[in-house]
This record gives sequence, structure tokens and C-alpha cells, in this order.
Amino acid sequence: MRVVALISGGKDSTYNMIECVRHGHEIVALANLHPKKDIDELDSYMYQSVGHEIIDLIAKAMELPLYRTEIKGDAQTTEKEYNHPVQGDENKHAIDAVSVGAIFSEYQNNRVANVCQRLDLKVLAYLWQRNQQELLNEMIDSNIHAILIKTAALGLFPKEHLGKTLVEMRPILIKLEGKYGINVCGEGGEFETLTLDCSLFKHQRIVLDEVKIIATSSDPIAPVGYLKIEKAHLELKQSSCMYSTLLHFH
Amino acid sequence: MVNFTVDEIRALMDKRRNIRNMSVIAHVDHGKSTLTDSLVCKAGIIASQKAGEMRFTDTRKDEQERCITIKSTAISLYYELPAKDFVFIKQEREPDVTHFLINLIDSPGHVDFSSEVTAALRVTDGALVVVDCVSGVCVQTETVLRQAIAERIKPILFMNKMDRALLELQLQQEDLFQTFQRIVENVNVIIATYGDDNGPMGELQVDPTKGTVGFGAGLHGWAFTLKEFAEMYSSKFKIEVDKLMKRLWGDNFFSPTEKKWSKSGGEGYKRGFCQFVLDPIFKVFRAIMDCKKDEYMALLEKLNIKLQGDDREKLEEGGKPLMKVVMKQWLPAGDVLLTMIAIHLPSPVVAQKYRAELLYEGPQDDEAFLGIKSCDSSAPLMMYISKMVPTSDKGRFYAFGRVFSGTVATGQKARIMGPNYVPGKKEDLYVKSIQRTILMMGRYTEPIEDVPCGNICGLVGVDQYLIKTGTITTFENAHNLRVMKFSVSPVVRVAVEPKNPADLPKLVEGLKRLAKSDPMVQCIIEESGEHIVAGAGELHLEICLKDLEEDHACIPIKVSDPVVSYRETVSEESDIMCLSKSPNKHNRIFLKARPMPDGLAEDIDKGEVTPRQEFKARARYLNEKYDYDVNEARKIWCFGPEGTGPNLLMDCTKGVQYLNEIKDSCIAGFQWATKEGVLCEENVRGVRFDIHDVTLHADAIHRGGGQIIPTARRVLYAGMLTAKPRLYEPVYLCEVQCPEVAVGGIYGVLNRRRGHVFDEHQVTGTPMFIVKAYLPVNESFGFTADLRSNTGGQAFPQCVFDHWQVMNQDPFDDSSKIRQIVNDIRKRKGLKEGIPSLDDFYDKL
Repeated sequence: MRVVALISGGKDSTYNMIECVRHGHEIVALANLHPKKDIDELDSYMYQSVGHEIIDLIAKAMELPLYRTEIKGDAQTTEKEYNHPVQGDENKHAIDAVSVGAIFSEYQNNRVANVCQRLDLKVLAYLWQRNQQELLNEMIDSNIHAILIKTAALGLFPKEHLGKTLVEMRPILIKLEGKYGINVCGEGGEFETLTLDCSLFKHQRIVLDEVKIIATSSDPIAPVGYLKIEKAHLELKQSSCMYSTLLHFH
Repeated sequence: MVNFTVDEIRALMDKRRNIRNMSVIAHVDHGKSTLTDSLVCKAGIIASQKAGEMRFTDTRKDEQERCITIKSTAISLYYELPAKDFVFIKQEREPDVTHFLINLIDSPGHVDFSSEVTAALRVTDGALVVVDCVSGVCVQTETVLRQAIAERIKPILFMNKMDRALLELQLQQEDLFQTFQRIVENVNVIIATYGDDNGPMGELQVDPTKGTVGFGAGLHGWAFTLKEFAEMYSSKFKIEVDKLMKRLWGDNFFSPTEKKWSKSGGEGYKRGFCQFVLDPIFKVFRAIMDCKKDEYMALLEKLNIKLQGDDREKLEEGGKPLMKVVMKQWLPAGDVLLTMIAIHLPSPVVAQKYRAELLYEGPQDDEAFLGIKSCDSSAPLMMYISKMVPTSDKGRFYAFGRVFSGTVATGQKARIMGPNYVPGKKEDLYVKSIQRTILMMGRYTEPIEDVPCGNICGLVGVDQYLIKTGTITTFENAHNLRVMKFSVSPVVRVAVEPKNPADLPKLVEGLKRLAKSDPMVQCIIEESGEHIVAGAGELHLEICLKDLEEDHACIPIKVSDPVVSYRETVSEESDIMCLSKSPNKHNRIFLKARPMPDGLAEDIDKGEVTPRQEFKARARYLNEKYDYDVNEARKIWCFGPEGTGPNLLMDCTKGVQYLNEIKDSCIAGFQWATKEGVLCEENVRGVRFDIHDVTLHADAIHRGGGQIIPTARRVLYAGMLTAKPRLYEPVYLCEVQCPEVAVGGIYGVLNRRRGHVFDEHQVTGTPMFIVKAYLPVNESFGFTADLRSNTGGQAFPQCVFDHWQVMNQDPFDDSSKIRQIVNDIRKRKGLKEGIPSLDDFYDKL
């Protein structure tokens, strides 16, 4: 099938694309919603929105066309079940299916499914209802190189954990799952990630030149913060073993 | 000179109706250990002539040096009851068995070691309450008696130190009777206050005419009850023993000339007790002390006392040494006390019937409960470990406790459950084999194959799995045996560090051992990395630190000045509705804090209001006593900290979707916030938190623990900060005994230390005064020494934790004392300077 992939830049949407390709589908385009200019972070119910500056780079790296729209207005309803016809987000493409990286959020899934049903599109959500710990392991094994760009949960500290890769975070997340019951894949908004490289990036990968840690809540119990990317560029892939050493903080 | 063998004892262990488990309890220095010696002497573990000088149960060197009991000690005794006494036993007994197995625990009298008493009471069914007849009923007598009644332990009374009343105070017979009667009354008032004669235990009051009160002198090894004297006279008067006992107490007068009894007395009449009990004793005393040889030789003849061996030489000299041997032979304390214990204290079979419901936390109809209730040795094993006793092997402990049901055996596979074990879960649970079961006999231990229910014993190898106490069982679905409630709390704490920093690992290991060896002491690591040792009082801490340095860590340590633990509370309702958002901003909790009504926190401490109660009954109680709205009172989510503490989290929301899904996370946040309060991370006390509204993300995944726990904690903190937070400080009840001249000095010292006297009275019949005062624990350091130096060493205080008192100052006022305290605590704990600001916890809509 010809697939358009909804991407946020995070590990889940990336991994779902990898799964799509593995199952023999063809990704023909990427779609992304981004917040209004000058707003870095939105506490959205629906979308991961940190790191949207990078989406363009991802599209370039994957060598695919990207459709972007600004997030306009507020959610019209925040009920879990969704069956309202909403105007304004529906466009016809020459495609058969949509790739979505939702794992447990029925809220996300219901909305995408509803829209797709109306447009007569299939939803490809290979991550749906999977065991999160397994999933995290699979993502790491499939060489997704992703880093944390936002933390918002008990036990995660911006200064300490932002910029860490999934491999580095895995033991910490598993420990916190046992302790406070957080979701190891961050489905509950515990953290968000940004994919810097994966097998779908054809020749280039993303390199961050300049980043800043922004704390939005300095509460000592569960601080919230995110990584603002000031400058980044694409670079030719050299060898896969050098990924983790290429991050520089200022 | 052990005159019984382990095999004999093992055989007797099966005769459950002939077992008595008892503790000896009293105020400090009323002579428990000395009295216990005369029992041990009778049961024959130490040579008879050493009794009264040896303090057999004081096993530690410092106990012997200080002449004070620090640890409770258990011994098994073996006694053959004379056949004539069997008629007095009102409870069931084993047919055709004359032997009794008495498991005795000698406990410390100093208030600082009350926790040892608690541990002792748990494993026993009866208590011998010892009162010094010169000092009378003291503060610790009341404390231990109250605890005994609460644990459903049957008391009997012993008036000790009669020799002092006779020799030092030279009391007349009538005065002595009045003193005795007053003590009996005082004891019965306490029993009546905390117990119920119509309760499941039956009659609890002590009564000399029933033989539940003994008199004597432990030091000299003699004792009697009215029964002994009634037996002497019963043939002469031709009155049955139990009827005659009634004549020998109270207002029963006898005229030797008219040979008649009278209720009112009058000319020529003398009180029965004085005439028939005290008079012979006084005569013997006077004759021997005055060295009137003819007189006492005649008396000895009359009393049929024949001295043997070395004692014959003392006949020539008279005086105190002779008096001792004569009295001991005439009224041997061991026999009298053991008889009293065998007759009046309940066997495990009797006691467990009414104790089971208090002991067992699980359903009142499962196998374990029924096993306990019927004291059935073939039922599943249920054993309570009440304390850890150090072995000669450093760092290892015997787990000491009572088998309530089934049989515990060497090599048996059992479930070892700590106090945090929850049925069906795996936390705090180990399934291991019991390495060895042992009998504990004062300074010695003896291995034993197995021990059936109703008995007290030690286990080897369990100490690795339990911290202080726990339940051992073979029943898979068993719940825990209820955790002991201590009457004192560890309010005095010090920080310790090794003199040589390289010794830190040894210190940590030593602290672990210390925590095990004492039921009460707490060893905590603060976030700042400080090691804290918390105890009940100065003496308790002193002993613990000495143990730590010499026995457990074996390294030189540095000790900080003592500090007191405080409690955080609030004084008004929050002035705004507090709101906190979850880290992902999708969930909001609205909450207010307010103080509990006076008395509710204490009710929770005492267990009148508990998390385990049926919620409707609890709501009714809260409504009637504290005017809580019934509907709100039914929706108590939990108590905290530790799930049982004196703070409440209430659900005051109306129709919130998914609320139940976040309940557990809110509770976790609540437990955390009440354990570490907002001002200075001390425990919170007496605060009710009302959750007024909650908005939640529709998706379950967005309202997990990682999101809700910190939010709950933050909103609770905001609630406290907006409700005029305050501190509680701990206050001692302090009782000082001294002669009249020293009273002035006591007032001076107390005044300087913010203490306030609320009672002062003379002990009737003595020149001694008792002053009672409330003294903030914070001001109590060095109090004993200060008092002594101001009263010429004549005043001796006993301080016991009494209540929490609110310090009514504003912690936000930089110049207040309470602010200073908060700052000091924060500094000590390595927290950020200053009280956290509301903005840290309160979010804008």
C-alpha cells in the first residue's frame, strides 16, 4: 500500500514507519502538524510538538515530500471517544493508508481512525497495544538513534536526562516503571524523543550543533524541561558506531 | 545446679494447661530483678544462697554495674505445685500433672526502655506487677499496667521492699496496713480505668482476699499472700482457708479475749491483718534485730524453723543476717510466688481464647485464627517474633518470640513475614528453613528439637530476614500477627559518624545490628547523608550508642548534640483553593488542608479510629464525636504516613470520572507528603486534606503514577502552605521524687526549661514529695544532671513522652523561634535554605 506517515520526529512514529516498510508498504509522503511560530512547546493532548524544527531535516534525510500544517485553535472536544465530523483537517491524497505511532493512547488512535474512516483510508499502527518494554528493546535493536528532548515525570530530571539516548535511558526507565509505574515508552507524556538517525534515513543523518535546556517548572519533585534546538544540520552517514559521541552541549 | 533437663521441659511443653507465660513489670528500682532471682533460685538454675545478690536476669555487664535492667530476659522455670493447692486453681488444668512450666520474662523498669516491656507483654499472658510499698504506685507502674491491660494480660500484684517499711521507716502495723490498702486501691483504679471487669478476660481487679496480692521483700527472699497465713490458722479457727482469707484483710477485727470477730472493731479488737499477719512478722523482726536470743529461739521453735549447716552459726549473733535466713525459711518467696503464678495467671489455652481476636489481623474464621484461639499444636504454625537477642556470635541474633499455634521445629520450612507483608503479595516475605529452635534461659541457651504452641522460644537463622519483629507461619494464606504498639516514641535523636572516615562501612553495618537489637531504636540515613540514631530518651540513647560503639560497630564514633523530632501541622483551613497540574499538564487536582479537631489525632494514635475499621462505623464515630459530615467521613481514602498515621486524605469530589483509577497514586503522594512535610520534611500530624475536584486526561495512559504521584504531593504541600502551617513539639510527662527541702530547687530548674508543674503531693506515710510536670523534650537534655545539682542529688526524675504540643508561632516570621527551628532542621537535613515558596507547588489555572 501507499502510505502517508504521520510523524512527530519521535521514536514511535519512526519505528512504525520501519514496521510499515518491513511489512512491504511504501511510504510516499510525510505529514506533520507544527505549533505556531515562536511557541516551542504545547501541552497537546494529541501531538508531540517538541523538536518540530527538525521535521524538515527528517523529511530531507528520508528524501520524501513533507506536508505541514500549523496547529490552529483548541481541541474541540477532549472526550476519549471521538466521532465528530471535524472540518478543516481533511485532504485527499493518492494514498491507501496512514502510519500512526500510537501505542496506548486511545485518544490519539480514535481520532486518527475516525478521520481515516471518513476518508476511506487504512490505519497502520503496528505499535498499538504492544508491550512497552518489548517495544523499547525492539526500537533499540533496530538502530533507531533517538534522544530525550522533553521530560515530565517523577524521577526524570531535565538536567540529567535530556539528550540521553534510548540505550542510556533504558535501565533508568525500567527502574522507574517498577517504582512509580511510569510508561517506559513515554506514552503517558513522561518524556518525548527525537530521532537523529534510523535505517530509513537514506544517506544523511541529523547532527545537533547548538541546544539549550529550558526548564518550564523547577518544582523539585517532578521538574519539567525540554531541549530547545537552536541549530542543526544534516551530515553524510559515515559509520554506524559513531552516533552516540556526536552530541555537544553548550 | 540446673535441676531440670531440657527433655523434662519439652515433655511439659505439651501440657499446655499447665504452662504460665508471664512477665515481671514495675517502675524502675522497685526490685523486679531481685525478686525474679528468688524465683530463679527456686527453680534451681543458680545456687539458693546467691539469690537476692545476683540479678540473674541482668545478663549484660553494664546492667550489673548500673544495677538497672536494660534488656528483658526470659527464663523457663519448672515448679511442682503442692497437691493441697490444686483446689485453688479455678481454670482448666491437665489431669494428673503436678508440674508447671513457667516462662518468665524480667523487663526493665526505666521508662526509656518501655519498648522492651511491650515486647515482653506480647509473648506473655500474665504479669506480676511489682510495687515498692514505700514509694507506692509510680508513673511507670501506671504505664506498664495500662499496656498490660491493653494487650489483655492478666495482672497480679506484689508489694515489695517490706523490709524497708519495717526497718527504715519503722511503720506501725496499722500504718503499714493503710499503705498496703492504698496501693491496692491505686492499682485497681488504674485497672478499672483501662480495663473492664465484664470484658472477655473476666475479673481483673487485684484483691488480697483472693490471693492475687503478695507481700514481701525480694532482697531478703521472703514473701507471703493471705493464703499462707490463712492455712496456718485454718485448723485453729476451724474456718476454711478461702473464708479465713477474707477475715485477714480490710475491716475485720478480732478480739483475742472474747474470741470473736467484728466488722466495726472497738475496745480490745484488733484488725485481722495486723493481728494474725503483721504481728508475727513484727515479733520475729524485733526479736532478731534487737538480738534477744531467748525470744527468737522460742519463736523459731514455735514456727517450726530449723536452720541447717552454716546458717546455725548465725543463730548466735542475731541481727540482719539471721533475720534473712529465718524469714527465707519461714516464708520462702520462690514457693509463694510460683504458687501465686500457677493459681492465678491464665494458661495459654485460657488466654489465647480471648487474645486471638486482638492478635490476629486476618479473618476471624481461617485456620490460623482458629489455631490460635484453641491453642492447637497440630494447627498451622503461627509464631510472633517480638524481639532480637544478640548471640555470642557478633552480628547474629536469636529471634525471640511466642508460638501461638502449631509447632515450630528445627529444620522446618516456614514463611517468614515482616511487618510490611501483605497477604497475596511477595514483599517482606521469605520462605526458608528454621535452622534451629532453642530454649532461652537467662544467660544460657539450650537447643531443643521442637516447641509446641503456648510456649516461648528462640530461633536461629531468622534474623537475616526480619528487621525487628515479624510473623512465622506454615499457613500459606496467613495474615500477620498484629504489630506491637509502643507506648513511647523515639523523639530524641543524634547524628553519628565514625572518628575515622574510613570506618564508615563498619558504622553502617553496626547501625544495622543496633536497629535489630533494640525494639524501639531507629537508625535512619538522612538525605544529607547523616546517620541518625533515634531513641526514647537520654538514657536509652546513651545505652544504644555505647552498644553501637563497643559491640556492633566496634569503632570510635563521634556523636552530635541530641536533637528532637517535631511534627508539622496546620492551624486553619487553606485560604485559597490549591491547584496543581501534572508534569504533562493534562491532569489537575484541587485541594484544601485543614486541622483536625482536638483529640482526633490522639484517637488515631490510640487506635480508636483506624484504617481497618468498618467505614460506616468509623463515619458514625467521627460524626458523633467530631461533628464530621457523615457522607464525607465515609469517603476517607487513607491514613498517613505509613498508612496508619494521624492524617487523613478525604474525597470531597462530586461525580468525577476515572477518580478511582488515580486513587492509588494520590495515596502514594499523600504517604510521601505526610512523611516528609513541606516546612522541614518532618512527619505531618493532625491534618485533614480534602480533595475538592479533579480534572483528568481522558486517556488512562496519561494519568499514571508518574504523573499523579508528584501532582498529589505538590498540591498537598500547597494545601499546607496556605493553611497557616505550624510545628508540634514533643512534651515529656516528668515525675520527680524528692524530700520536701528539694521541692524549691525542682521548680527553679523546671521554670528555666519551659516546664510547668501541674501536680505536687506528699506520698502518704513518707517524707517524700512527688512533683509532676510537663517538660518540652527539647529542654530535657541534661535535665537529670541539672536537677541533681540543684537539689543536692536528692531528686530523681522519670521522663516519659506524653503528648505533642503545638507551637503557636508563625514559621514565615523570620524572627520567630519556630522559624529558627525550621531553619536548623533544614540545615541539618541538607535541604535548601528557607521554607519552599508556594509558587513551587501551586499552579495557575
